[in-house]
Amino acid sequence: MTVFHFLNCAFLTFGPHVVYYSATPLSEYDTIGTSVKAAAVYLGTALVKLVCLATFLKVPENDSFDPYQELMKVFIGFIDVAGLYFALTQLTHRNISQNHKFQAVGLGWAFADSVLHRLAPLWIGARGLEFTWEYIFQGIEANANLVMTLSLAALGSLMWLRKNKPRTLVPIIYACALLLATMPSITSYLRRSLEWQTPKVVGFELFSSLVMAFISWQLFSACQRPM
Amino acid sequence: MSPSGEVVASISSAVAVALVLLACVELGDAAAAVGVYRLIQYDLAGAPLGSRAAALNHHAAAFPLPPGADLSRSALVAPLLDLPLSFLREYLVEKKHLGGLLILLPKKLSDKNGTGNDVDKGQVKGVLAELEKLLLHEEVPYPVYFAFHDDDFDNLLADIRKIATSGQPASATTGGYKLVVPSAEPRKVTSPTISNIQGWLPGLKGEGDTEQLPTIAIVANYDTFGAAPALSVGSDSNGSGVVALLEIARLFSRLYSNPKTRGRYNLLFGLTSGGPYNYNGTSKWLRSFDQRVRESIDYAICLNSVGSWSNDLWMHVSKPPENPYIKKIFEDFSDVSKEMGVSVGIKHKKINVSNPRVAWEHEQFSRFRVTALTLSEMSSPPEFLESTGGLHDTRESTDVDSVIRTAKLVSESLARHIYGLKGRNIDVFAENSSLAINPHYIQSWLDLLSRTPRVAPFLQKNDPFIAALKKELSEHTADVHVQNDALDGMFTFYDATKATLNVYQVASVTFDLLFLLVLGSYLIVLFCFLVITTRGVDDLINIFRRPPSRKLKGA
Repeated sequence: MTVFHFLNCAFLTFGPHVVYYSATPLSEYDTIGTSVKAAAVYLGTALVKLVCLATFLKVPENDSFDPYQELMKVFIGFIDVAGLYFALTQLTHRNISQNHKFQAVGLGWAFADSVLHRLAPLWIGARGLEFTWEYIFQGIEANANLVMTLSLAALGSLMWLRKNKPRTLVPIIYACALLLATMPSITSYLRRSLEWQTPKVVGFELFSSLVMAFISWQLFSACQRPM
Repeated sequence: MSPSGEVVASISSAVAVALVLLACVELGDAAAAVGVYRLIQYDLAGAPLGSRAAALNHHAAAFPLPPGADLSRSALVAPLLDLPLSFLREYLVEKKHLGGLLILLPKKLSDKNGTGNDVDKGQVKGVLAELEKLLLHEEVPYPVYFAFHDDDFDNLLADIRKIATSGQPASATTGGYKLVVPSAEPRKVTSPTISNIQGWLPGLKGEGDTEQLPTIAIVANYDTFGAAPALSVGSDSNGSGVVALLEIARLFSRLYSNPKTRGRYNLLFGLTSGGPYNYNGTSKWLRSFDQRVRESIDYAICLNSVGSWSNDLWMHVSKPPENPYIKKIFEDFSDVSKEMGVSVGIKHKKINVSNPRVAWEHEQFSRFRVTALTLSEMSSPPEFLESTGGLHDTRESTDVDSVIRTAKLVSESLARHIYGLKGRNIDVFAENSSLAINPHYIQSWLDLLSRTPRVAPFLQKNDPFIAALKKELSEHTADVHVQNDALDGMFTFYDATKATLNVYQVASVTFDLLFLLVLGSYLIVLFCFLVITTRGVDDLINIFRRPPSRKLKGA
C-alpha cells in the first residue's frame, strides 16, 4: 500500500513531463537530445548556485526575515536565468524551430529540477506506513514548476533569440521574465514570513503559474504575428 | 528554505539519489513512538502462560466498540479504568481472538509526586490487582502491552472514536491508525540464575570459647515478579524488606566495629532471590551451607513487605507459639513494640511437607530445622505469585516511616536479645544518638529500589544492581559472598519485555485507488489538451484510429 502511494506520487510528479513530451510535436521531431542537454546545464547551474550560497550566505541564528539575505538569494536565483540563457543560445541544437526549441529546453530543465529536488524525498518518505499529504503537494508543485519553467523558457527565447519584436511589448516581456525568475523567492517569503500553510502556497503557485503561462502565450503569439 | 537547508538539500539530492536507490532505507517516520512494556510470558511446569506473542501490526480500535466489530485483526487500546474485566474474561474464556491489547496505565503510577485522592488510588490498585491475577494465570495468544497514559494517547483515542462513530470499523479499507511493534519472536531465557548475597558480622569470641558462636540470621528476598517484568519494581514487596535489612546491617556494623560493644552472637545477613517461586533461592542458599554453620543458627528473622503498615505488624511462625524459643522471641518483640506504641501479633501456620507451596520464607528454614519467623504487614499468607511486586506496587505505596519503624523494632529487639538487656529501660538506637535510624539512607535506597525492576530470570549474574547490593553489604559486613544457582526447572521465562510502539496514521486502500483514478484521468486530460492545442483535434482522433489505407494498398 505504501509502495502504491509512492508510485502514485511519482506519477504525479514526473508524469506530466512524459505526457508533455509525447503529446506535443516534440516527440515527432525527436528533440530528446535537446532536453538531455538542457538537463545537464541545469545540473551545472545547480552546482554553481550551491557554491555561491555556501560562500555568500551565513546561517541564520533565528528564523526572522532578513532582507539582505533574501536579496542575496534573489541574486543567486538569477544564476538560474543565466543557465537558461546558456542552454537556449549557446548549445548547438539540431535544426529545430524556435517554437520547439524553448519547449524542449524548458521540459528538460523542469524534469531535471523535479528529479533533483523531489525524487530523493519521495523515495525515502512516501514508502513509509505513515500517510501525509506532503508528497501529493510536492507533486502538484512539480506540475506548477513545469508550467513556470516553460513560460520562462518562452520569454527567454523571445528575449534572446528573436531579433525583431514590437517595441511596446519589450518592457512587458522583461517584466514578466523578472517576475518568473523571482518566483522561488516569493514562495519562500510567503511560506516563512507570512506563514502560509502548504495547501495555500501550492494553490498560489498553481494559480500564478497558469496566469504567467497565459500571459507568456499571448506575448509569444503576439511576437509571432509579424513573421 | 534557509541557505543551509538548500545547500544540504542540493548535496543530498545529488549524491543520495544514486546511493539511496541502492540501499532500500526504511526510516522511522511514525506519528508517535512510545515505550511499551510487554506482559510476562512464561511456562509453569510446561503449561504456557502469559502473552505468547510479541510482534504487533494491526489497526487500532478503542472503546466504545461499534456493534459487530471484528477484533481479531485490530489492536484494542484501552485506558485501565475503561477496560471492563468481564469483557476481557469473556474473551479469554471463550478463546476469542484479539489482534493485540494495549492497556494504558494512569500516569500517577509513575509520577512520584502524584497527589491523586485516596479513592482513586484505591480503585486503581484494586483494578490492577484483579487484572494482574487474570492475565498472569491465563494463556493469552496475542500480544499484551502496558504503556503510560498521556496527552498523545488521549488524542489518539479521540481520533479513533471519531472514525469509529462514522460507522465503519477499523480495517484495511478505511483510514485510521496502525499500531506496530517490531519485535522478534521471543526466545527462552537460557539458564536463568538466582544470586543470593550474604554477609557476616562475626561476634566476640572470648578466651576459652572453643565452640562456634551462635548465629542470628536476618534475611529478605530482593527479587520481584509481576505482570509486566519491566515495570515490576516491587517497592513494598520486597523493597521495604531489603532496605530495612540494609539499615539494620548498618546499625549493627557500627556496634560491632568496637570490640567493647561486640555481641556474643554472629550476625548473618542474607539477601535472597527466587522469592516468588516458592522461595527456591532461600532453599538453595541454605543447602549450600556447611551443616555445622546451619546448626549454629539460633533463629532467623525474615522480612517481607514491611513498607505500609502503621500500627500492626505480624510475626508468622511455623512452630507452635507455645514453643519456648518462639515465646521468648515474641516477648522481645512485644516489649519493644509496646514501647513504640505499635502492636505485634503472632500467627501460626503449620508446614505441610508434601505440599510444594512455600508461602513464607521462614518455612524454608523450618524445613532445615532452623527456628525462623517472618515479620510482615500481611496478616495472611499470599497466594502463589501474588504480592510479589506487581503493577500497583510502586514507590507511592510505600512509606518511609513504616520502614523506619520496622528497622527500629527489629534492631532494638535484637539488641536486647544479644546484650541481655531485658527488663532494663535502655533505648539502644535512640533518636539523636550516633546509632539513630537514618531516614535519608532509607529513603534513598527505597527510591533506588523503586526504580529498578528486579525479576530474577532477567537479572544476570553480573547485573549492576546485584553488584551494588554486594558493595553495600560489604560496607557494613565482612565476608560477603554471592552464591549463584540455577532457577528451578519448573519455570521457563521468555524475553522481549520492553519494546517501542510506533503509531502510524494510514490511508486506506480506497484512497490510494481513488487517487490513482484521479491521477490517471488528469494525465489523460492533459494529454488530450496538449494534442489538441499543438497538433489539432484531427491528430487526436487519428491516434485512436488504425490507419485504414494500408489494407487497401495491400489488396
